[in-house]
Amino acid sequence: MVAVWIILGVIVIIVIWFIASYNGFISLKKRIENAWAQIDVQLKRRYDLIPNLINTVKGYKDFEQETLTKVIQARAAAVNATTIPDKIQAEGVLTQALRGLLAVAEAYPDLKATQEFMQLMEELRNTENLISFSRQFYNDSVMTFNTRIAMFPGNIVAGMFAFKAATFFEVADAAERQAPKVDFSK
Amino acid sequence: MAVFSFYEEQRRNIAKSYLLIILFTVVMGAFGFIIDYLFETMPWFTLIFLGIALIQVLVATLAGPSVVLSSVGAKPLEMGNLEQKQLSNIIQELSIAGGMAPPPKIYHIPGDPTINAFATGLRPQDAVICVTDGLLDALDREETQGVVAHELSHIQNRDMLYMTLLSALIGAVVIVQLFALRAMIFVPSGGSRRDSNSGGIIIFLLAVAGLATVFALFGRIVLFAVSRQREYLADAHSVELTRNPAGLASALRKIAQTPGRIRTASVATAHLFISDPLRRAVNEQEGGFFTNLFATHPPLFSRIARLEGKSPQQIHRELE
Repeated sequence: MVAVWIILGVIVIIVIWFIASYNGFISLKKRIENAWAQIDVQLKRRYDLIPNLINTVKGYKDFEQETLTKVIQARAAAVNATTIPDKIQAEGVLTQALRGLLAVAEAYPDLKATQEFMQLMEELRNTENLISFSRQFYNDSVMTFNTRIAMFPGNIVAGMFAFKAATFFEVADAAERQAPKVDFSK
Repeated sequence: MAVFSFYEEQRRNIAKSYLLIILFTVVMGAFGFIIDYLFETMPWFTLIFLGIALIQVLVATLAGPSVVLSSVGAKPLEMGNLEQKQLSNIIQELSIAGGMAPPPKIYHIPGDPTINAFATGLRPQDAVICVTDGLLDALDREETQGVVAHELSHIQNRDMLYMTLLSALIGAVVIVQLFALRAMIFVPSGGSRRDSNSGGIIIFLLAVAGLATVFALFGRIVLFAVSRQREYLADAHSVELTRNPAGLASALRKIAQTPGRIRTASVATAHLFISDPLRRAVNEQEGGFFTNLFATHPPLFSRIARLEGKSPQQIHRELE
């Protein structure tokens, strides 16, 4: 009789653990989906911001046309990218182009001093950070999820319900990997 | 491997908070019950003590951030200039980094020239981050980011919930202590048939008062220890969010080198701030065991040392 109760108890514990692991995986998966959606929102925000930036800078005579064209082209490519790898690639190029633009702007002191430019700069900085932070959150969530479903004994549950490892948002370009170092502090 | 530990930390703090409430109610009920048993007044003291426990918990958990905010003279931040817009942007960015939506509300202490900040609000949805105007002026974007991330960590970890309940618990112990001392006056001291009992009752009440005193002292030491440890933890989480220890370290250096207290801060609110707004010496000493026991914040130089990976002595010398 005692043995029956012990076996029953063990079964109940296993079932509870099973449900808890399954629910844990589901909530992590939702978190990853939500994080991906966030990245998308931020990327769109950046597309909207670029025309403003271009307009402000364009007014300045002999501002390097080449840099401007690069940004405009990169934006168009990013907007039109359809698959996720293409998108990641195009976004990397756009980020680089924008950094180039900001670096060039450093050479125009009167442009830099205008309230309008400073505000745009802050907006851009904000958007860049939003993108990189939402990517960071996404990747952290992916890592937690991937680790959980790979580790014993969680991997048993993950295997039964065919949970697949999620993909990291990897940065295409090597220079991109470095921490953002555009310095316009204050 | 412990990247992204907020969810864990949050769960642990919520669990500990529930445990505190339960423990607290049981202890208060038991005190009342023992007194009822001795004085044959069942069930009045049990009910009174449970009532005190309930009121303490309710007051502690239901009081919104408004009490603290008005006590330090904080006002909602308006988006007037670029600095203010920038702060709001930074908070929005870091809320996304921590996966918390919506971002906390922003307040500032107008005209205060010191560099300081605090977070309040027991639940993330009514969380508030408050900064001094001095912080807006003196810190650059990277430094502000470090400080804001520190405050967001307190919010995400539910540190305020745990700390508030801990202080409520200490408050209740003090109430018990006063109660026991007062009750001694009412113990009949001769002539009645409970004569033989009254000596025992006085000893019991003395014991309760003594125990409560010890517990209150012990409780404060625990509260301070928790507060110090939470500061280190929030520093670590700040770096986890920003991936940039230099920003917070440089902000703490500026804080250490800017003298002055916040006029509106008090001992009741001081532990909330990122660095002690009252600049009490106990929080800035290298200190032995006893000075450390009563500090609400770890010394700034040790915090900077941890962030920069240097020795505390070295930072201490650099700051002088």
